[in-house]
Amino acid sequence: MNFWRSNRLVALQVALRIFLGGVFVYAAWLKLREPWMLFAMSVDAYGLLPSWAVIALARSLPWAELLLGLVLLSGKWIRITSAAAAALLLGFLTAMAFSYVKGMRIECGCFGSGDIISPRTLARDGSLLAAALVLALLSFRGRASRISSRRS
Amino acid sequence: MRFVTVVSLLCLMAGAAASQIPVNGKTAGMSIAPVVIEIFSDFQCPACKTLHEEMLPSLLANYVAKGRVYLIHREFPLTMHAYAGQAAAYACAAERVGKYDQVANALFRKQATWSVDGKVDETACSVLTPDEARKVRALAKDPSIAAEIQRDVQAGQKAGINQTPTLLITRDRKQYPVTSTNYDLVRRLLDELLAK
Repeated sequence: MNFWRSNRLVALQVALRIFLGGVFVYAAWLKLREPWMLFAMSVDAYGLLPSWAVIALARSLPWAELLLGLVLLSGKWIRITSAAAAALLLGFLTAMAFSYVKGMRIECGCFGSGDIISPRTLARDGSLLAAALVLALLSFRGRASRISSRRS
Repeated sequence: MRFVTVVSLLCLMAGAAASQIPVNGKTAGMSIAPVVIEIFSDFQCPACKTLHEEMLPSLLANYVAKGRVYLIHREFPLTMHAYAGQAAAYACAAERVGKYDQVANALFRKQATWSVDGKVDETACSVLTPDEARKVRALAKDPSIAAEIQRDVQAGQKAGINQTPTLLITRDRKQYPVTSTNYDLVRRLLDELLAK
């Protein structure tokens, strides 16, 4: 039996997909239930973007997270969504690590307000990134093995 | 003609009344305002100085003076700041002699100096008369002042506040903790809440 298509790896892929999808939907819900300006303030606190970009990101990111989470939960376009999740989480983690190293004591803005960037939040987002990378690896390798098995 | 004159006079009087900010110690504005902002601040925190000197005048002029916001100052001295507690005690004591604003302004203006040399007393009393300074010095050591500060800190902790400055914005019993000192963003949030 092909390693990349073993039952355990398929189960792991499904579990990671549902877990990450749930996390993205939850994060989006926490942001969307509050005035969007609160999330804009969290983004602005990083000091990385000009005002117009802060507003644009604060308006669009929660909806993008919601869409990504729902598509991950649905299991459609898994390679694209897993890669997008990994890229998004890598972006979040980079911004958070950059601010933490600079000694900025700011909210991460990941799950609503009140969550200050700390080793705990960095470890949490690092774990999510690792999960997204594993999911992307399983999705891409699984497809490659399917194609090769069809050819043989 | 007489009617137009009376209306104009009434408009002028209304405008003048609106531009005056009712200040009562640590509060400003009308308590029936639709939005309440509690500013949890630490006199030794640089971002609190920025908020006090750059954002607060705009908030007072554009929201408090127009009766849209009721402002309350809360003390939240952080343990990491050696003289913040003493500064808060002097400010609260100054409130009891009707000089909270003056002492708070002096403490923020000279923050860089007393944060290093610890001369809180000298800074706070520089804007008081000798008689007021004597009263404030005595009051600053009064247990009731320490209790007042402790109440503010506990109120902040209960609201989940863990950094300064934090604006705890309340509209229709819902609270929004805001740590930004970007007036443009705070203004947009207030306008959104007031439009509800």
